[in-house]
Amino acid sequence: MASLRSIRTRIKSVKNTRQITKAMEMVASAKMRRAQQRVLDTRPYADRIHEILVRMGTRSSFSTHPYFQVKPVKKVGIVLVSTDRGLCGPINSNLFRSILKFMGERPEVEFEFVTIGKKGRDFVRRSGRKLVGVVDGVKDRGPITEILPATQVVIEEFADKGEWQEVWIFYTQFISIMSQKPMMERILPIKPEHLQPKEGAELSGEYLYEPDDSREILDVLLPRYFETIIFQRVLENFASEYSARMVAMKNATTNAKEVIYGLTLTYNKLRQANITKEISEISSGAEAIQQG
Amino acid sequence: MSFQLTLVTQEKSLLTEVVDFVQAKGVEGEFGVLTGHTPFLTLLDVGEFIVRKGESTYAYFVAGGIVEVLPHQVTVLADILEREDEIDAGRAEKARNNAEKALKEPMAEDTRVLYQQAYRRASVRLRLVARRSAPGGNIQTPPGTGPN
Repeated sequence: MASLRSIRTRIKSVKNTRQITKAMEMVASAKMRRAQQRVLDTRPYADRIHEILVRMGTRSSFSTHPYFQVKPVKKVGIVLVSTDRGLCGPINSNLFRSILKFMGERPEVEFEFVTIGKKGRDFVRRSGRKLVGVVDGVKDRGPITEILPATQVVIEEFADKGEWQEVWIFYTQFISIMSQKPMMERILPIKPEHLQPKEGAELSGEYLYEPDDSREILDVLLPRYFETIIFQRVLENFASEYSARMVAMKNATTNAKEVIYGLTLTYNKLRQANITKEISEISSGAEAIQQG
Repeated sequence: MSFQLTLVTQEKSLLTEVVDFVQAKGVEGEFGVLTGHTPFLTLLDVGEFIVRKGESTYAYFVAGGIVEVLPHQVTVLADILEREDEIDAGRAEKARNNAEKALKEPMAEDTRVLYQQAYRRASVRLRLVARRSAPGGNIQTPPGTGPN
């Protein structure tokens, strides 16, 4: 039977843990709100650049631009967006499982990775796949420049060297605080149907281009378009990470409370038993003296 | 006669407002836009971006990006965009001195280009700041959201 002292020490230690998980829960919830706000903040740029591409697309044909070239696929690049830290529930392992499934379905192609986030980097190393670019330590309030090394690698491999014929992005979509979903999207080659005008969209006359080659403008617009897409996914992944961590820490706090309750109960019972034992010892001692 | 102006960066939207006139520096030179301008698309250089609305004039620092001009709407998708009063003069000054010193040394061509760009950005920022503090400067604090 555990001694009173050892139970007391355990209660204290579980209380400390509860305090920490409680604090982590609150921090995560504050960060989650900020991350969600940042996702919203990037929308105007993404919407505008999309509108411009749509307007350009109705006149110039995109089909000659390298970003739209569909080729037979031998090698696929995967941009893997994961978290830097753990204690955030199953979001990373769910994401990795969906990647393994995705790769399993296409045994004839080779896969190479660019990772944003340490967990994904470790996953790729463990699985023995080729890692061509690593970005970690991205901050949730950092500027877009933090992720540009990753997009540069992608553009190099896809457009400049032609090593990759397709590029996919894997990240965890934020649906609600309780629910995050692993997502995969093909980001290159860009599907021209994504750039079709929506119905009722306003399309005004011809553009003049300056420089007067629309190709030069596309060369600036498309990488930006593409960077914004990745940036949004990274921010969304942050929102998912924090909400998953919030829920995980909330559960941990609840568990700690239960453990404390149980331990306190045992402690009190033991204390009471000890007192009872002591009293009966004293009273039986006193009785012995009287009889003597 | 006025038109809708939208200033955005990849990180956030800075301004959506109805204005009378804008002036920007494209890669092929400066241009001004009034309502009813021919639709055109151009790339932005490093430079000032001036907005006029009624009696007020605002200035922004812009480096790189795209401008779309439509008859009743102008959209600026900037790589770097700072309100004139957000410019950090001390940092710009330091950056300019750094670049100036570095450019005196021999170096690889692509490094040189980077330093030259840094030098230009810093100079334009400082020019904007100098105009702000000059007596009789009529540039006012521009609208738009501040730093995070």
